[in-house]
Amino acid sequence: MTLAPTFSRRFLLAGAVALTALATASALSAQEPQRGGTLVLASVHKPRHLNSAVQSGVATAVPAAQIFATLLRYGEDFTPQPYLAESWDFSDDNKVLTLKLRQGATFHDGSPITAEDVIWSLGVVKENHPFSSMLAPVEAFEAQDPQTVVIRMTQPHPAILLVLSASLTPILPKHVFDDGQDIKSNPKNNLPVGSGPFKVVAFEPGQHIILERYDGFFLQGKPYLDRIVIRQYQDANSGVLALESGEAQMFPLLDGTRLIRRLEKSGNLTVTDKGYAGIGPLNWLAFNTKHPALSNVRVRQAIAYAIDRDFVTKALHSGLSKPSIEPVVQGSPFYTEDVERYDFDLDKSKALLAEAGYGEGGKALELRIDYMPDVEEQQRAVAEYVKAALAKVGITVTVRSSPDFPTWSQRVSSYDFDMTMDQVFNWGDPVIGVNRTYLCSNIREGIIWSNTQQYCNEEVDKLMNAAGVEPDLAKRKQLYAQAFKQITIDIPIHFINEVPYHTVYSQAVQNPPISIWGTMGPMDEVWLQQ
Amino acid sequence: MTAPARTSVPAARGPMAEAWDIFRRSPSAMLGLALLLLVMGITFAGPHLYHVDPFEIVWAPLTPPGEEATIPLGTDNLGRDILAGLIAGGSATLAVGFAAALITMLIGVLIGAYAGFYGGWVDDLLMRVTEFFQVLPPLLFAMVVVTLFQPTLVNVALAIGIVSWPQTARLTRSEFRRIRTLEYVNAMRAIGAGDGNIIWRVILPNALPPLIVSATLTIGMAILFEAGLSFLGLSDPNVMSWGLMIGSGREYLLDAWWVVTLPGAMIFLTVLGVSLVGDGLNDAFNPKMRER
Repeated sequence: MTLAPTFSRRFLLAGAVALTALATASALSAQEPQRGGTLVLASVHKPRHLNSAVQSGVATAVPAAQIFATLLRYGEDFTPQPYLAESWDFSDDNKVLTLKLRQGATFHDGSPITAEDVIWSLGVVKENHPFSSMLAPVEAFEAQDPQTVVIRMTQPHPAILLVLSASLTPILPKHVFDDGQDIKSNPKNNLPVGSGPFKVVAFEPGQHIILERYDGFFLQGKPYLDRIVIRQYQDANSGVLALESGEAQMFPLLDGTRLIRRLEKSGNLTVTDKGYAGIGPLNWLAFNTKHPALSNVRVRQAIAYAIDRDFVTKALHSGLSKPSIEPVVQGSPFYTEDVERYDFDLDKSKALLAEAGYGEGGKALELRIDYMPDVEEQQRAVAEYVKAALAKVGITVTVRSSPDFPTWSQRVSSYDFDMTMDQVFNWGDPVIGVNRTYLCSNIREGIIWSNTQQYCNEEVDKLMNAAGVEPDLAKRKQLYAQAFKQITIDIPIHFINEVPYHTVYSQAVQNPPISIWGTMGPMDEVWLQQ
Repeated sequence: MTAPARTSVPAARGPMAEAWDIFRRSPSAMLGLALLLLVMGITFAGPHLYHVDPFEIVWAPLTPPGEEATIPLGTDNLGRDILAGLIAGGSATLAVGFAAALITMLIGVLIGAYAGFYGGWVDDLLMRVTEFFQVLPPLLFAMVVVTLFQPTLVNVALAIGIVSWPQTARLTRSEFRRIRTLEYVNAMRAIGAGDGNIIWRVILPNALPPLIVSATLTIGMAILFEAGLSFLGLSDPNVMSWGLMIGSGREYLLDAWWVVTLPGAMIFLTVLGVSLVGDGLNDAFNPKMRER
């Protein structure tokens, strides 16, 4: 269903681009999907539980997207497609969204999925999910009849369609979860009754998650796979070894570029960077704008000019990561070229430092850099590089390591840092994943991935808020472009690169998940060549 | 006051000279000494002969040794000079080794001496404390200490010292228990020497030889310990040490052998040297060897 447009486009491009693309596309279209088989997915992420309504992060999102259906889904481009909802419609003022649910859809316990379940699930998400901005404009969820859901908003909220497609808004069975317990700590989150293509039959933390085909899935004939096993490995190395030995068939979210390069050479595995436009993972250097020296925009700009993005992407990341220059990834519809880039320029850097009174002949500048632990190539190596790079303009940098993630996030969210390397996801729409980093109102002490830079520019807030309610895509893009330009001028964050997430899979895997959500979207169309 | 202690050791040429004679005749001990001198030479003379900031990016990352004349041992994953790292890293690594051994000796000898000398409830109490520390897995305990505080060089040395002293304490205690019953100690007591005097001026000098051997071996162990902690990412990221080089290079083991192998070889040579010297000292201080 969703494949047709993708294929025809591939055929058009095939002549001009690579021969392999043609080969893959024609091979795919020539063959009927085969039913059956077990797909073993290697993972290094350890979910706390499987209910993505109350837990963000990729660890929960990957299994949850298989267990729970969402109202909509997105393909490879940023356009909505029907999923549990077969059609949807905005009112003229764009403040009311009406969705028609599919007939005959059932939960894994056989009971019907009704509008009542949908509005209850969305309410749970609105109340509990850490991404509070994504449903903030919603005034009411209403069940008009068992097949019709009405979402009333206080203002136009164009991001709503994308929100309803992400594993952030799973449809839960109300009769199972609405049992008076706090949903965040409900033990049913470990083996939830779901609504998606696969039902969970086993969840052994640190070992595996076993998902089995749900025969009553509302899309006829799908899913193709009998079983998905998400097997957890201690580190990327052992996951890759499992892939090479045939123990696993797919390894998503791999960011070790040396491993990726090695697998590219191996020949019998396919490597793709598709499937990550939705999460839009960025790797950046954040400044504490309240730091005495870093509160001076010239110092921040000087630091930016002293850092060579090409060195990071080519030398540290084997040429696999893309340089990043702004708050969104290149795959985002809101990407713009018109921003302050800060291309490597040591002379400019020294001049700016001198203007600020530092550098040669000025005051000595000593700064500390933190980094997120356990993300070697993206975080630690870049932090060490920043230390070496800033030494060339006379800034002494001390690297501070954190023994574990909570220590680092505690330091950053309580503003106990000068500069820190950080990784933040776009989550498809700026309203979900971008605004939080820059809005004055989101300077919230103690919360990681809020505006921990404590950056505040009323103008940027105005632009971003206006873009959030602008239904017209072209105008929206324009507003974001203005906001991004201003942010890069003010530089609370120096954008370094996009995290080079890759999915590696064996040749048996057909229709790999390359939608904007990748493996964080439903894998009902993936099948195995037997 | 030290006079009686001295005369209690019958020696014509002085015990140190005699020990050196034995030490000198052992080829393995001399090899160890040569290795140690070599490592120290690189560490202390190196910075005067080869002057590169070990944190500076000097060339393309992961350049193999010998490919570029100005960087004979190649570069690491950030393009930093490996040779500069080896030279600069030596002093940090050796400093951690010696400091940790010193801390081990201080705590171990203090606790062991009192436990061995007084016996009774003092002994019981101190030995229970010692056993408490002895049953903790040392690497894990050191990791906890370094994690709780910052992984700075001083903290790493402290952590290693804190987990390593029980053995020294037990050794000291047994030496003290043996020596305190000897006649010259009784003689000291008879002429009215205080406990402190007897412990530090009479018994300790006589218990010293095995303790020196133990201290030497502790240095080697501490260097390995530091490398182990670094491998787990728990080393001071702002001070170049061999351990840090191994820790940040381990990801590249399959692509660039030299990044980890060269500092690894330095650690190997140093620990080998220290151990051989320790063994040589053990023989040299052993009275049975002296009669040969």
